[in-house]
Amino acid sequence: MAATLAARDRRFGQLMAAPGLAALLLVIVFPILFTLYTSAFDFTLINPRHDTFVGFAHYARAFGLAEFGNALLVTLWFVVAVVVLEFAVGFLVALMLNAVERGKAVYYAILLCPLLINPVVVGLIWRMFLHPELGIANYVLGLVGLGPVNWLGDPRNAFWTLVVVDIWHQVSFMIVLLLAGLASLPKEPYEAARMEGAGTLACFWHVTLPLMRPVILVTLLIRLIFAVRTYDLVYIMTRGGPGQATDLVSYFIYRQAFVGLNIGQASALAVLLLLIVLVLTAWLYRHMRSLV
Amino acid sequence: MLVRRAAATILPHVVLVVFSAAILLPLLWVLRVSLTDKLTAYRIPPEWTEPRLDNYIEIFTAYRFADWFSNSLIVALASTLLALPLAVAMAYAFARHDTGGAPLRLGVLASQMLPPIVLVVPLFALFLGAGLLNTYAALVIAHLTFNIPFLAWMLVAFFEGEVRQLEEAARIEGATRFQAFIRVSVPLAAPGIMAAGLLGFILSWNEFLLALILSGRATQTLPVGLSSLETHRGVEIALLAAAALLAILPVFVLLPFLRKYLIKGLSLGALK
Repeated sequence: MAATLAARDRRFGQLMAAPGLAALLLVIVFPILFTLYTSAFDFTLINPRHDTFVGFAHYARAFGLAEFGNALLVTLWFVVAVVVLEFAVGFLVALMLNAVERGKAVYYAILLCPLLINPVVVGLIWRMFLHPELGIANYVLGLVGLGPVNWLGDPRNAFWTLVVVDIWHQVSFMIVLLLAGLASLPKEPYEAARMEGAGTLACFWHVTLPLMRPVILVTLLIRLIFAVRTYDLVYIMTRGGPGQATDLVSYFIYRQAFVGLNIGQASALAVLLLLIVLVLTAWLYRHMRSLV
Repeated sequence: MLVRRAAATILPHVVLVVFSAAILLPLLWVLRVSLTDKLTAYRIPPEWTEPRLDNYIEIFTAYRFADWFSNSLIVALASTLLALPLAVAMAYAFARHDTGGAPLRLGVLASQMLPPIVLVVPLFALFLGAGLLNTYAALVIAHLTFNIPFLAWMLVAFFEGEVRQLEEAARIEGATRFQAFIRVSVPLAAPGIMAAGLLGFILSWNEFLLALILSGRATQTLPVGLSSLETHRGVEIALLAAAALLAILPVFVLLPFLRKYLIKGLSLGALK
């Protein structure tokens, strides 16, 4: 009897999950399989009979493409820069927020604002501020005797401008999650540390950081995966330029597919990006389970 | 000692005020630009004029702002409402019966983390072949790709946190598994389901890349429309500022309903 009950439970679970899983197979798994297929052809979008089979040639070519190597490198630097800087600023602000009582709700409400704004709008308004002659940014710099800065026209500046705008947009993500972690820390370890005469810094280093480790890891990994996917800001602010200074990998694949109309090559690049994100997601999954 | 204690209470406020200013000032500047006339908007150094609402009217007359807005509304509502029942049932199966175990959960998380560029290339080719480009169906299907896994992942956390006694009591009183799910578990999880649905709506409202590639003139969503504002007549920044503020308005209206669930949403259910 017990065995059949368990079997019925299992069957009920499968029935309940089936429609959703079928939908995911249709809208996600099938397109990915189709990408694997197109990556092996010179896919023309016009007539299947014009498609020639090229096997793994697109994958081989991907590694020879200097532009793709550049896109991977720019993406790597971008991801490292935004994750590290957003974590540093975010942790500082979270610690300060955790220390105050008065005005906390107001500060919190303010910092939520950028998170809710869509990336296209963020890109558009910052383009407006950063216009070399008509933007307010250079005017304000001028008031204190600096600038003018060519924010988006110079390759070196453009990369860091993108990083700074991304920080403005996304740093609150780190703050919200790290603050939630800080707020749920137990009080006793701090009292014990105080009894032994530990100062503020020692407490932070030996109590806060070790206790926060799981939350920090999950927060960093989620942010890292989303940073790898960055597309909207690049499209709006720089179109990958000047030159290829901000040619993040998503934007590079977009150019291959929809500007160069080289669907086969773009598919191969997309598969490679997919593999990178899958590895990162598996890593995140392990840490998420350990947090629950 | 007194000085040190004073510094310890003031320092956090100094950091927080600077940080808040860095976030608020740009937004206030957008608001100011949206209320000026078109020429004044460009003047550097800035000139101050009487605030006016012309720009908020002109985006509706000079551009197809109302169409973009309603397109976004249609796509976000349709994709969220279609995804929600599928995700609720799937999440319940995962949470109660561990259907599919870890591999399936990982699969759902991975679906959600997938870069949109990976999906938009095959979806474009497939929709082109099926004659679906420039239709609402194309956008709704495309938005299901992130809405189903996101909602399912969020709701697993809700169902796992729910007490099971009521559900078990209903079963003992003769309810079938499905009746217990519909009459007990779903109503109990209703606030969570609502919140997850609102978050899914916002994800869809803000989505850009899929909509950029898969929409046509008739189905352009708000982000796509806004991105074209910039290229059409040069940048009319006063109009742009007004449009930008109207575009983010719905999200801010929804915020009060979400406050409690925001952390769960942002951390993908890992934190409460």
